[in-house]
Amino acid sequence: MIRSRLVNICLAAITAVVFIILYGPIFVPIVSSFFVVKWGNVQWDQTTLAAYVALAHNDGILEAVKNTILVGISAVILSIVIGTLLAFHYQSGRSRGRDIIQFIVFLPFLMPPIITGLSLLIYFREIDFERSLVTVIIGHTVFVLALVYRTILVRLQALSRSMVEASYDLGASGWQTFRHVLLPHLASAMIGAAVLSFALSFDETMITILVTGTDSTLPIRLWAMMRLGFTPDINALVAIILALTTALCLIAARHLMPREAGARSA
Amino acid sequence: MSEAAGNRRVAGLAIESAAPRAWRASLAVIAYGLPIAFILLPLLAFLAYSFFSVSGVTMSYTPTLMNYQRFFTDPVFLPVFWRTCLLCLEVAVLAVGFGYPVAFFLAGLEGRKKYTLLLLLMVPLLMSYVIKIYAIRSILGGNGFLNRALLALGIIDQPLTIFVYNLNAVLLTLTALLIPFAVLPIFLSLERIPRNLLEASADLGASNLQSFRRVVLPLSLPGTATAATFVFVLAIGDFLTPQMVGGLSGFTFGRIIYSQFGTAFNWPFGAALSVILAAVVILAIAAGTRLGGRQRGAS
Repeated sequence: MIRSRLVNICLAAITAVVFIILYGPIFVPIVSSFFVVKWGNVQWDQTTLAAYVALAHNDGILEAVKNTILVGISAVILSIVIGTLLAFHYQSGRSRGRDIIQFIVFLPFLMPPIITGLSLLIYFREIDFERSLVTVIIGHTVFVLALVYRTILVRLQALSRSMVEASYDLGASGWQTFRHVLLPHLASAMIGAAVLSFALSFDETMITILVTGTDSTLPIRLWAMMRLGFTPDINALVAIILALTTALCLIAARHLMPREAGARSA
Repeated sequence: MSEAAGNRRVAGLAIESAAPRAWRASLAVIAYGLPIAFILLPLLAFLAYSFFSVSGVTMSYTPTLMNYQRFFTDPVFLPVFWRTCLLCLEVAVLAVGFGYPVAFFLAGLEGRKKYTLLLLLMVPLLMSYVIKIYAIRSILGGNGFLNRALLALGIIDQPLTIFVYNLNAVLLTLTALLIPFAVLPIFLSLERIPRNLLEASADLGASNLQSFRRVVLPLSLPGTATAATFVFVLAIGDFLTPQMVGGLSGFTFGRIIYSQFGTAFNWPFGAALSVILAAVVILAIAAGTRLGGRQRGAS
């Protein structure tokens, strides 16, 4: 776009400010994780890795991380399986029922998480389903399902019908067609959606806080700790999480980018 | 139409031909059953709850409009409700105010740099929400970075406490958290503007400012409306941020709802308040879509 030098400098300055606003709250704990903290003040002249050592011995946090990963992986697997089935079901015909189901699946993504969380909380209570990590997994699956379903459906719709017809004409069974024609085509969309939903699940706080029982995931644990203030090992944890999420984000971006040309030649 | 012909025609789906009946039936059970059991029924239960009542610790399942009546007549709730709506509008305006120039700057960059910066803007979204709130609170606090910077610059001579544990804090924190949601839709709508429109505008003698006002701005309005809707909806549904940085004076609607399920222990009333929240969200989405849609129609 055409614009003058002065305007460009102003825009760049605002962008820089926004980057500072966004990254400031992340870098403060990360940088301080490498320094000695005394009475709440960071000692800028004393570097240390003590925070990382302390983290390795913080059983409460490690347990929460383990729960979070367990919930994330379960929710990802469930939502990929259900999302794929839903996408196939939507694709395999036309009826008003399908559109209604699609709308229902989108609801938890459109509505504020507090509403999804509260409705599940009330529901579990009414059907006498005890709150535990299982209810958290259900909550997360419901939350990320729309995203997974949509990603897979879009990819499925991009597949040309003649490929499937060719597969049938060559004598492949339904399963063989799925396994050798559809699945390879959908794989990168599935991986992208899986990574993104794992990231969403990993940080999901508002639904989790409402549907969890006595087990806590990492965000819930952090939420409970926040009243007392964080210990230095939390800073170390932030640094590790940032490194991992950035890596995951890059992987997701690579898989979600359309690779039509590559897929066709393969 | 025979069954076989039907299967052929919708050959989009492999699964239909091998074991049609059983597969299709179980697929339908899953496709209809799961969303109904885990999304629709909970939402209905939640809607139903808003018409129940509670006395002491016992639930009464007799339908009543008491909860809604209480919301509209009690002097406590309506003011908080309006204040929260206003607050979230302010957050939306601030986030778009920051987001628009950033999106405009990014859209003007070349190739790789553009998408790398965009991706970098999105990375903080994946970072722990709770930790970000905590860090922002410590930055805004009396001994925080903001106060120290203002002191060092000589703008103030003693630390200010106006940035934390009140509504200002909620406003600033939500804006800082939600800016990326504002940038993305605006960026996408700017990206969609065909370059030749801008060239045409320049050829016809329009200045940069005129081109921006007459061409770029109207065409990016749908994205801007979406951005504002996104931010508003996310802000109004958030109860963690106000809980954390709002202190006693920063009471918001989301916090009231949350407290009904905790300390106040009045689930039916909390459900009624959430239904009102859902109504506001639906209105906001409808308004955003309309604003975006009309602009697109006009151009």
